[in-house]
Amino acid sequence: MTPRPALLLTGALLTGAAWLAPVAPASAQASPERRGAVSGGCPTESMAFQRCAREKARTFTPPRTAEGVPDVQGYWRSRNNGIAYNVEPAEGSFAVPRTGGEIVDPPNKLIPYQPWALERRNELRTKAFEDPQGHCAPSGAPRKNNTLFGWKLLQPRGYVVFLYESMHDHRIIPTSGRPHLPGRIKLWHGDPVGRWEGNTLVVDYRNLNGKHWFDMSGNFQSENIHVVERYTLFDPDTILFEATIEDATMYTQPWTLVFSLERNREEGYYQLEYACHEGERDLQHFTDDTGAGQSEQFRTEDQGAR
Amino acid sequence: MPKRSSVTTISAAGLLAAVAWLAAPAAVAQERGGPYRAPRTADGHPDLQGVWQVRNTAHWDLQDHAGAYRIPAGLGVVVDPPDGSIPYQPWALERRNANFQNRLADDPYEKCYLAGVPRTMYLPLPFQIFQTADEVAILSEYVHTWRWVPLAGVPRYPGYESWMGDPRGRWDGDTLVVETVGFNDQTWFDHAGNFHSDALTVTERFTRTADDVMTYEATVTDPKVFTRPWTIRMPIYRHRDRAQILENECYLYAEEAGRPIRGRHPTFDDPQGDAR
Repeated sequence: MTPRPALLLTGALLTGAAWLAPVAPASAQASPERRGAVSGGCPTESMAFQRCAREKARTFTPPRTAEGVPDVQGYWRSRNNGIAYNVEPAEGSFAVPRTGGEIVDPPNKLIPYQPWALERRNELRTKAFEDPQGHCAPSGAPRKNNTLFGWKLLQPRGYVVFLYESMHDHRIIPTSGRPHLPGRIKLWHGDPVGRWEGNTLVVDYRNLNGKHWFDMSGNFQSENIHVVERYTLFDPDTILFEATIEDATMYTQPWTLVFSLERNREEGYYQLEYACHEGERDLQHFTDDTGAGQSEQFRTEDQGAR
Repeated sequence: MPKRSSVTTISAAGLLAAVAWLAAPAAVAQERGGPYRAPRTADGHPDLQGVWQVRNTAHWDLQDHAGAYRIPAGLGVVVDPPDGSIPYQPWALERRNANFQNRLADDPYEKCYLAGVPRTMYLPLPFQIFQTADEVAILSEYVHTWRWVPLAGVPRYPGYESWMGDPRGRWDGDTLVVETVGFNDQTWFDHAGNFHSDALTVTERFTRTADDVMTYEATVTDPKVFTRPWTIRMPIYRHRDRAQILENECYLYAEEAGRPIRGRHPTFDDPQGDAR
């Protein structure tokens, strides 16, 4: 058990801080390097991981809940190899790790943007302060699983409930066949509807408001986005996470990213509060470059405080 | 088909009468407002799951109050002390009155901050309760707040300081009792400026008293601010017309409306606080 009082005081700063530099809390410090490039007995390179995990899933019998579906309850965190920064392969730079990307389809591991969208992405990449996550926005699907922080899965009857540490966020997945909300209700977390397909939890996200990015590198979306997430337990402590993104107004084809979710078995662990907007004062550090949205008075005041 | 004997008919009628007689007291008691037996979860506890919301003005003022700017008039929910007044220490009453004057600027809810406890339970927005054998989770529309309430076996971290506190729950008969500590001194109990310190302990009691109603009670203890513990009580109603909560991303809406809110936590404003 690791008390983390420093995190409590600075939690609000971490979104911004972690965004520029990986100032990660104790719970997120296990870097890919330290843990080796294997997850659940599979190599972590996305395509090899997907192949290996699917193979293992064919013979793995997951524990069951009283409801008779795979029991995925407990604490989890992503093993995302740096896609918090960029879902595409990218060289490292100051305080940003190199990443092999996590896209498995298309095989070139690049988001299949239409030309106008690629141009827009390249423009956004120079405006990191516009990343909604830096504004404490709920990160939607599939990015919410890409944060440096973990989450708890609960399985009350007929649901899978995600309680995220990052930004005291939650996602409620009904698995009872509830229909989607009317299309005009757009939400930061969309309207997830889940179902169990064999041992795989399939979550269909409609009604996403399209304001999210997929990462910190300007990879963006539109309100026509449709996301399907698949969670397959293939080992007692490891989930194959696959997310397919469709949006005919932005991409030339659907695309899929894959990474590993690992169980956190730390004795006595529970999630602490991650307040984000409360006391947030990093936003102006990002926006100061352009002065966007910032009053002269606020900047002066803040410099005084430092 | 053989003709049914009169003996069988009489027996069947007798049996039905007996069943009706056995069932009657419960039904009558319920009809007359007697003990209500809540539906149960798989592990035998009252089922509190569903989408709930208050219908009162506690969010604006816990005490009896006339209307004021952006405060609807309403009856108080303080049941102890019996006069319905929050038992402030004299200095704290002055501070509360100052808070009231400055409520539009200083109410943490106006800044879209986490609402704290017990205020999160009587916001003018719905919340949803989930239960498993080991835990209760209370998830709110308001800024995606969640409260995770373990029912046993999770020792608290020392030195916890937070907006929503660190709750622990247990069943006391058919009542869910939640005790929460580990608060900061930043939240208010309502828009009228009723406040607390970091010595706050809140003990809540959730009792389902009808199919669509639960009785919610919260006892507030804070020896730095009050002369004695005090208690609020109110019904919370279950939504029949919706099975899901949506979202309320208060600070993002403010930003989109061109009125961004920049939070200022005193700890961060204090240069020495920065060094910690």
